[in-house]
Amino acid sequence: MNLLSVHDLIVRFRTHDGTVHAVNGVSFDLNEGETLGLVGESGCGKSVTNLAVMRLLPSPAGRIEGGQVVFEGQDLLSLDESEMRDLRGKEIAMIFQDPMTSLNPVLTIEEQMVETIRAHRRVSKAEARAKTIELLSTVGIPQPESRLRNFPHQFSGGMRQRVMIAMALALEPKLLIADEPTTALDVTIQAQVLELLSRLAADRGTAVILITHDLGVVAGMTKRTNVMYAGFVVESATTADLFARPHHPYTVGLLHSMPRLDAQPGEPLIPIEGTPPDLRFAPVGCPFAPRCAWRVDRCWRENPVLEPMQPTQEIVTTGLQATHRIACWNQPTAEEAAAARPLRPGFTPAAPPTEDLS
Amino acid sequence: MTTPPVAIEVASIPRTSRGLWRDAFRRLMRNGPAIVGMVCIAIFVFGALLAPLIARYDPTIGSLADGRQGPSLAHLMGTDLQGRDEFARVLYGARISLTVGVVAVFFGLVGGTLVGAIAGGAGGLVDGVLMRVVDVLLAVPGILLAIGIVAWLGHGEIQIMLAVGISYSPIFARLLRGSLLALRESDYVIAARSMGASPTRILMRHMLPNALTPLIVQATLAAATAIIDVAGLGFLGLGPGDPRVAEWGEMLTDSSKFLQSAPYLILFPGAAIVISAIGFNLLGDGLREALDPRLKR
Repeated sequence: MNLLSVHDLIVRFRTHDGTVHAVNGVSFDLNEGETLGLVGESGCGKSVTNLAVMRLLPSPAGRIEGGQVVFEGQDLLSLDESEMRDLRGKEIAMIFQDPMTSLNPVLTIEEQMVETIRAHRRVSKAEARAKTIELLSTVGIPQPESRLRNFPHQFSGGMRQRVMIAMALALEPKLLIADEPTTALDVTIQAQVLELLSRLAADRGTAVILITHDLGVVAGMTKRTNVMYAGFVVESATTADLFARPHHPYTVGLLHSMPRLDAQPGEPLIPIEGTPPDLRFAPVGCPFAPRCAWRVDRCWRENPVLEPMQPTQEIVTTGLQATHRIACWNQPTAEEAAAARPLRPGFTPAAPPTEDLS
Repeated sequence: MTTPPVAIEVASIPRTSRGLWRDAFRRLMRNGPAIVGMVCIAIFVFGALLAPLIARYDPTIGSLADGRQGPSLAHLMGTDLQGRDEFARVLYGARISLTVGVVAVFFGLVGGTLVGAIAGGAGGLVDGVLMRVVDVLLAVPGILLAIGIVAWLGHGEIQIMLAVGISYSPIFARLLRGSLLALRESDYVIAARSMGASPTRILMRHMLPNALTPLIVQATLAAATAIIDVAGLGFLGLGPGDPRVAEWGEMLTDSSKFLQSAPYLILFPGAAIVISAIGFNLLGDGLREALDPRLKR
């Protein structure tokens, strides 16, 4: 049985400007102890997907309008708020992007961590305090006994993120959701924090969902990756497979827009042209079509679904044997993926249809 | 040759542990105007506390023969129409003005905090209904509302405290609710929720302490206005109701008829009102600067 199984999740935001189609039928599975990367640019729905799993969407604007989130055989969407509260922190914990703002400035580290532990465990203050000291030294905070009484503003960014990691792992959750855990940190600190995170998660057998727009982080930290675009998963594969054989034009674009050490001097970066679609409009056709160099007529009319590369292939959704799946009508070939442009003679991207499809 | 200064990342050096409040206090003590304000308030507080020791006369007993004397060594601020020592009356008046003013603000703060916390914490329909009530109260000028409440509840110190307190509570409610709404979407509140903290715990432990500073500033500033409002009610004849009791506002009313012949009778209680109000204003401004995290150095 999967630890977490998200099926056809749909999240909408009701705003003054209309309904935002943030997540449009995302499905993925996660095994115990597995690491999954969620990659995509800002606003592609990767954070919203996970806030929905935690049922922490900003209310009343954000609403889960469909799908299932099954955690250890339990449908999280059918739990009431107090049952959900028992689960948060204890079974599923979260690490946020900005450690400078995710600790309460008026409470000491001790107060915040002891409170978290005692919210779920019937232990005395002294026991919780001892546990806190142990955790802080595990994440590499020097002199944890004296640092306990410090306020967050007395820590540097990297140290605060270590405190956040300690707090998230305090109750030994089965699933840890790390939402861009290193984006706000110095590059020199990023590697340390990531290394700490992956080591602690591996030691405890914690499954990790890592949300990031940094492909380098995904490559180093995860075994499996979902690429998201405009609220859809557009490509899903093991991380090794995805980097070796990217198939979706968006993934190809992402990989080529990133500077690489093995690139020839003077070799240009290839940006993805255009901007992400306006999520206030339900997509007609493939959401990536307007920016895609491989688009064909069908891309403007029909939204492709996530399917295995070979149609007859049996689908494995988790683990290192996971099936490489992609949502695309006109896949780039391996050579085209390497060149980041269509190489077929005479091919031009299909012009947008003239008749109104919406 | 001098050695170049070594760059040190200041934030990572553990400073001697000091709390946010102690930091704020330090900043407050470096603020000149705030200290002037505190001195003004302190003068009145000591004057009020030590009135029986300082004043040589009973503020309620005088003889008509001594009426309306100018300031002299015997009567530092002269005597009023009934021959009562004006200095003693100003001192005893400080008791009424300060206690009524401060307690009124306290009532307003408690009431407003309660309403604001329920509205900001619960949200939805509760929030909507409570805030419309607050809107209605805010639409009526504060002093008019206070006059109405005193007229309804009758004379007396408690009534004045309640009246002024009720007229101030909407401001506190609105202020607190606004801060809470902003805090509800803040990272650390979402982080606390993601750790499974209960709504009451989040409200009491994470949101209220962070929403407190604007309330403290507003309360100090409101104390200044409250002193003026209490005097205003007294001036309009809605004071404590006992003509023997020295109250700054009533003292102004009593002596307003003698503005030309005995201007000092207006001058001293008037100055007392102004100075105490300015004191609270200066302290409030100082507190605002001391507690504002953006000004933190």
